[in-house]
Amino acid sequence: MVETGSICLFLSFVISVYTLFASLVGAKTRKREFTNSAENGALAVFILLTIASGSLIHALLTRDFSLKYVASNISRDLSTLYSITAFWAGQAGSLLLWAWILSIYTALVVLLNRRKSRELMPYVLASLAAISSFFIYLVAFVESPFEKLPFAPDDGRGLNPLLQNPYMAIHPLTLYFGYVGVTVPFAFAMGALLSGRLGDEWIRNSRKWTILAWTFLGIGLLLGARWAYLELGWGGYWAWDPVENAAFMPWLTATAFLHSVMIQEKKGMLKKWNMALIIITFFLALFGTFITRSGIISSVHSFAQSNIGPFFLSFIGFILIFSFGMFTLRLDQLKSENRYDSILSRESAFLFNNLIFLAAAFSVFLGTIFPIVSEAIKGEKILVGPPYFNRVNVPMGLILILLMGIGPLISWRKASQENLMKNFLYPSILGILTAVVLFLVGIREAVALISFGLCAFVAATIFIEFYRGTKVRAKRGENYLLALYHLISRNRRRYGGYIVHVGVILIVIGITASSAFVTQKEATLKKGESISVNHYTLRFDELNQYTTEMKHVTAAKLSVFNSERSLGVIVPEKNVYKYEGNRDIDNETEVALRSTFKDDLYVILTNFDGNGTASFRVLINPMVSWIWAGGIVLALGAIVIMWPSARERREEAVVRYSVEISEEGTAKV
Amino acid sequence: MSRGKIKFIIAIAAIALTLAYLVYGGVKDTMVYYLTVEELKERIPSVYKERVRVSGTVVPGSIKKDIDGNLEFKITDGDQSIDVRYKGIIPDVFRDGVQAVVEGTYTPENVFQAKILLAKCPTKYEPANPANKKEST
Repeated sequence: MVETGSICLFLSFVISVYTLFASLVGAKTRKREFTNSAENGALAVFILLTIASGSLIHALLTRDFSLKYVASNISRDLSTLYSITAFWAGQAGSLLLWAWILSIYTALVVLLNRRKSRELMPYVLASLAAISSFFIYLVAFVESPFEKLPFAPDDGRGLNPLLQNPYMAIHPLTLYFGYVGVTVPFAFAMGALLSGRLGDEWIRNSRKWTILAWTFLGIGLLLGARWAYLELGWGGYWAWDPVENAAFMPWLTATAFLHSVMIQEKKGMLKKWNMALIIITFFLALFGTFITRSGIISSVHSFAQSNIGPFFLSFIGFILIFSFGMFTLRLDQLKSENRYDSILSRESAFLFNNLIFLAAAFSVFLGTIFPIVSEAIKGEKILVGPPYFNRVNVPMGLILILLMGIGPLISWRKASQENLMKNFLYPSILGILTAVVLFLVGIREAVALISFGLCAFVAATIFIEFYRGTKVRAKRGENYLLALYHLISRNRRRYGGYIVHVGVILIVIGITASSAFVTQKEATLKKGESISVNHYTLRFDELNQYTTEMKHVTAAKLSVFNSERSLGVIVPEKNVYKYEGNRDIDNETEVALRSTFKDDLYVILTNFDGNGTASFRVLINPMVSWIWAGGIVLALGAIVIMWPSARERREEAVVRYSVEISEEGTAKV
Repeated sequence: MSRGKIKFIIAIAAIALTLAYLVYGGVKDTMVYYLTVEELKERIPSVYKERVRVSGTVVPGSIKKDIDGNLEFKITDGDQSIDVRYKGIIPDVFRDGVQAVVEGTYTPENVFQAKILLAKCPTKYEPANPANKKEST
């Protein structure tokens, strides 16, 4: 099996390089045979990498410790699930995953465009093949997961206990689908630049694939936040850690692109800007992979370090020079077809939205690379911490929420007083009212008041949109539920977008509440003693120690009361892993969490002694669950947007039919 | 230039200036020097006034922890070492011999009062040193 893996990697590299050249020749000579052959090459790469990945999973499951990757990432006592997820626990496996996912995307692009975009596709495929050749090269020749050890040890070194969490199974995978997914819109952009076909085709394709990648990135970020919240045990979910930032930056620029692309489609404006945004997004995705995998910036999320840094830097440099070079050559073809008429218009609301998203991405980028830059310039390593990121990003985030309410409703070109009154009068009143009421209730944090007020404003604008649209349909005799369904299904992009916005609002509410109103208390308790935090009372009942197959567990049992009413028992733990290979990280704190939409009770067992005394840290984090609920709403909205509409399917059928006819025609000639 | 265009330029300039202001202020107020133990000692006495971040290896056997969560330990750069005091969340990976990063202030009593403690085990899951790698092949 192992030999199969290495051979598949080697073959896939050869075929990937062949695909690159065949599609270039196909593009230049316009001969279909070359392009067809290149497309088959891309499919072959996908099959080979699937076999290679399968053999790595097989090696992990059969505990083949003759492989260095298996020996250093798992041990015999590891469960089946985590043995599979160890696929992406280390460097080589992660790179293989990158290459494999890219081959999946490439195969999908090929299959979905078999009869479409014939001028554009060869260049798109060439770009994809070039990028995948690079990753396959790394995984086949520099950091192979199939590298053998001179002799096989009896057991492996085991998987980092921090990675033994269900979220670790899904979070990296989702994030990688996001990172890698950004490659596809980039390839379409490159295809457009190389072929000179800078019309609708590339922008339509880029938009579709960006939504997909953006959704994966967003969900991946949220799952990562949830993992950190449950596993790292400090009570927070986001720390502006370099690896978090690495995924956040391309998400920000992709968000900007998804908005500005509408302006290009509707008005033929922002063409250069969109091209630049796609290139920057891909650069940030590569940069993200680079800092995650190279360990150049220290981070709680980076579990690997290695020597692929120089390769990556050269590749990133090449991508930047090449793409911006092509961009400059085509500048005169990217002229705007319209101009801005008024600052009070949808165009300019979108423009400002974009500028702020880009500014936010830039400030995060600067903060992330600050230690490297300061060391290079001043010779001193200087860090900027979470306060920096919060100070810069909170105001920008608030403006973005405001624009989220304004952008979709303000009229194109120039908003009239009438338009402004009709759409924004009630939402503004509601927003201000919300802030005033919260102030009277006793909330004094300015940022929280503004944030909640803005959220109410946006929620109201979205509600009015749904209400008006449904009412118009209902007047024509549909019942309200059916009217709502038709409203959404006939305008998937628009109403799906609103649903995404609702998700974002829920997330913002959760973030605002949980960062402004945390209560924290520490206590050392003897058996039977209690501690009260806000409306919760916790009674320390007992300390249990027992041993499982993998670890020695110390579990504290606490009864929770909400003003005399019993809410059950929670059990924070401290675990010591038995297996020698895990000794470097032998302690694991298992947080106890009791979650409601009002607040989370988050309890950490910080210490204990032989007499049964234990110390705890108790946190009350308000409304954290809103963040996860918002994530689900956001994903649903994204699915609504991506779901192919009946019209698109009809159009597709027509295109296919006409291509077939024209092919028959040329065949006869 | 039309009046409309000027409005746009003003608006964009306002965003750029706000960004510059936020970034500059943010960096100025939150930056901390990242030092080795040796660099910290070289900066005495000016370092007493600053918030700094110091990295070093936890000296084996130096960790003392009481039930209330007060933690004392030493970190070293292999040559010199400093005493660190800390109370707060202790990362799971913190133990003898790991690479620890502390942020806080160094007091004239020569004790580092840490507000933040981070820890990381440099050579665990992938060898950091490429030379190790070659051996195993």
